[in-house]
Amino acid sequence: MKWVLVWFLAAATAVLLAVAWLQSGGLKQHAMFSAGTPEEAVQALMSQIQARNYEQAFASLDPSSGTDLASFTREMAGTDSSLRTYSSLQTADVSPLRADGDQAVVRLRMNWSSALGSLDDVRDVRVRRDGSVWRVVWPKPAFPTVPPQVVSVNYLSWDVIGRNSSQNWGAQDVDSPKVRITSMNAISRPGRVVILGEVENEDTVPAYLNVNATLLKADGSALEEEGSFDLISHVLLPKQVSPYRIDFPGERIDAVKSVRMDARALLVPASADPVIAVSNQAVSKDGLDRNVLKGQLVNQSGRPVNIAQVLAAYYDDSGKVIWVSDGYVDQALMPQVPVPFAVDIPDDIAARLKNYRVIVNHYSRSGS
Amino acid sequence: MKRTLGSKFELCKSMARTALLCMLPLCVLPVRASAAELHVPAIVEAGHGFSIPVADSGQASFYLVGPDHVVKRTVNLASSLQIQPSDVRAAGHYQVILCDSSSPCTSATFEVKAAAPAHLSFFLHPSRVPVSTPGSIDATAFVFDQYFNLVLTPAAVDFRITPASGAGFSRQASARDGVAWMHMDSTPHEGRVQVTAALGGVEEARVIQQVAAEACGLRMKAVASGNSVTLETDPVRDCSGNALPDGTVVSFTKIDKAGKSTVDTPIKKGIARVQLSVQGPAQVSVACGVVLGNEVALNGKL
Amino acid sequence: MKSVADMTLALRKMSPELVKLAWVKAASFVLAACVLAIAQSSPQLPEVHLDAAGLAPRPIEELTGSTIARHYALAWRDLAGALESSQGGALGEEFVGFARDHLLQRVGEQLQTGVHVRIVDHGHHLKAVFYSSDGAAMQLLDQAQLEIQTFDGNKLLDTQSAPHEYMVLMTPGADRWYVRDLEEVSGKSF
Repeated sequence: MKWVLVWFLAAATAVLLAVAWLQSGGLKQHAMFSAGTPEEAVQALMSQIQARNYEQAFASLDPSSGTDLASFTREMAGTDSSLRTYSSLQTADVSPLRADGDQAVVRLRMNWSSALGSLDDVRDVRVRRDGSVWRVVWPKPAFPTVPPQVVSVNYLSWDVIGRNSSQNWGAQDVDSPKVRITSMNAISRPGRVVILGEVENEDTVPAYLNVNATLLKADGSALEEEGSFDLISHVLLPKQVSPYRIDFPGERIDAVKSVRMDARALLVPASADPVIAVSNQAVSKDGLDRNVLKGQLVNQSGRPVNIAQVLAAYYDDSGKVIWVSDGYVDQALMPQVPVPFAVDIPDDIAARLKNYRVIVNHYSRSGS
Repeated sequence: MKRTLGSKFELCKSMARTALLCMLPLCVLPVRASAAELHVPAIVEAGHGFSIPVADSGQASFYLVGPDHVVKRTVNLASSLQIQPSDVRAAGHYQVILCDSSSPCTSATFEVKAAAPAHLSFFLHPSRVPVSTPGSIDATAFVFDQYFNLVLTPAAVDFRITPASGAGFSRQASARDGVAWMHMDSTPHEGRVQVTAALGGVEEARVIQQVAAEACGLRMKAVASGNSVTLETDPVRDCSGNALPDGTVVSFTKIDKAGKSTVDTPIKKGIARVQLSVQGPAQVSVACGVVLGNEVALNGKL
Repeated sequence: MKSVADMTLALRKMSPELVKLAWVKAASFVLAACVLAIAQSSPQLPEVHLDAAGLAPRPIEELTGSTIARHYALAWRDLAGALESSQGGALGEEFVGFARDHLLQRVGEQLQTGVHVRIVDHGHHLKAVFYSSDGAAMQLLDQAQLEIQTFDGNKLLDTQSAPHEYMVLMTPGADRWYVRDLEEVSGKSF
């Protein structure tokens, strides 16, 4: 009888240990350190990154990788309150490019999900066979250093003192900023109607702006109402122009007789700093053969810009806005350091576009 | 038969007597039904009390129902009914009702009109206006008395305009149904403009800011320095010569073999300046809002 | 004369159809009663007709006109409800500024004295007479057909059934137009 108990206890212990091993990612680790193909090695690495096990992920890299644990962690986890620090790796698609004996190159497409949408990171990754195991060769990222310096900030900022709510009707107040929709174009896209255009802050004070549109039927009744959400630069300085795009999913343009536009502006405190230059813009193809508008953002102020959003407006040869696209940069913009960006362009738009203009929205944790 | 007829006649007589006796109070009552007739003035000025003479005796319930006020009290009909100034502050129609226990209530109405003007609710829009713009400034004044009743009697409201530079002037507008309004053009010079609405001894002042209009004759120059070029505008002014305020965004665009580069930079101390790197020949342009400035060709000899 | 038994037999033969018909009729009646009860329990909006012909200095937009008429009707519905119930909370959100202050004071004093007023609203004819250039205020004249009954508790004190004229000031808010001033006037031409 006692032998039954002993055997039972031993078996139970073994089962529990196995479960614990599985829970701690033992299976994944085993896969990582025994990857039989380049794709398996990259997938196993991505699994560890997805689970935020940066130490184990780093340990699985090929020794010839030029990076160190701190740089690797900083690259994957993000830094300086950038968008990457609020993101998590959702999926990783791996496709082989070429293989040659003990070396291989695979195309890795990482899809990061954040509160502001999904971000793609496409790169070609080298994999090397070490004995019977394939390991990823991960290059050291080049983190630019900002030379120590003093940057004087003498850009204008605006504060607002509004009317006291207890004051009588008719008491002096400050008006909302005057904004004007300078163009509006309604187009049909697959599965939706899209309203695009540009809006200008005609006033001499900053404006916080929202643009809404209502699609009207032939009888004048409203079909649907939508806003621009984040496809607009909400804070516009004096004389600044922003593109906007309003999507109406599920609507058809032949059901729309007219459009009623509504641009609402609020007077808000703002600063003219930071100035962000958008340099070396060009339309090209990315690693997945998609049309993109690429360029670099340069923060010309002395403080980091934690999250930057690029808004691009595309024009045809008559100067009409034919598309507006946006993208977030998942790195912080350090002062004077160029950071690349790329925003998608639909193929049919890329074929027709003659000009484009980019503006940058920004968010800085330290306040402006 | 005679006896039957006679008894029936007696019966009819007694019934008629009874009916008359019953009807008597009804005939008498109307004389007492309008127990206390109310004689009220047709129109009263807000905040002015008055008295209602009542020729009766006894006690009654008195009600005063107005736009913002309800009074109920027991009154002695031997003396006149007092309406306090505080009872008739709001303009509008008032009802007085008198009820005693023995008769239906009587009522009367009177109207309270606004007192003399004592407040102006003055709206001057917009608070910022480009210079030299026709009909761009709107002034509207609502005339109220001390109890914030709208003064509906016609009155002349003066609008006195004091610009930052140049001579002041005034316009007059008639207040109709308590509202006076006027348009005016903005003056050619930027700066603070005070507009005062005045009616009798009542004044209300507002200030608006006249600002420069759209940029006019926007020009920039390019100064090369190594592999970069500094682009600087001339002082940015409107067509009347007013300087655009600091903070107004100016867009510089450069196109060279590296691609297109743009910088939106605010005006500082009247000019906008930016430094861009250049690779070979380049074309640079400048814009402010929807106004385009000049273009400069850089031939790459840096 | 048919016997009771014959009648019963005949009834029994007819009864399924009769019963069906009876049920349908009864159900229709109950349904109609419910609809009527529901309709009567939520106060109807009074009819408001807006005339904005010749409005100056700013012409009125169609959407603004329909919004104003609707919110004015809502204001009168709320006003009637507040004066009948003597509850300030029934005043809703349609009144601001002087109009709201006056009405709240009136309703508070009604509650103290036990007086309440029932308004039977037969509709309003609104004439817009002034619309400021910046769209910040509109002045209107209202000719209203109202029956006004004044009560002390359950005792009817007075009944008035006559046209009433009001001078109205309305100002726009984020999503509606508010009644800022409401003064009864007399002798205004429409």
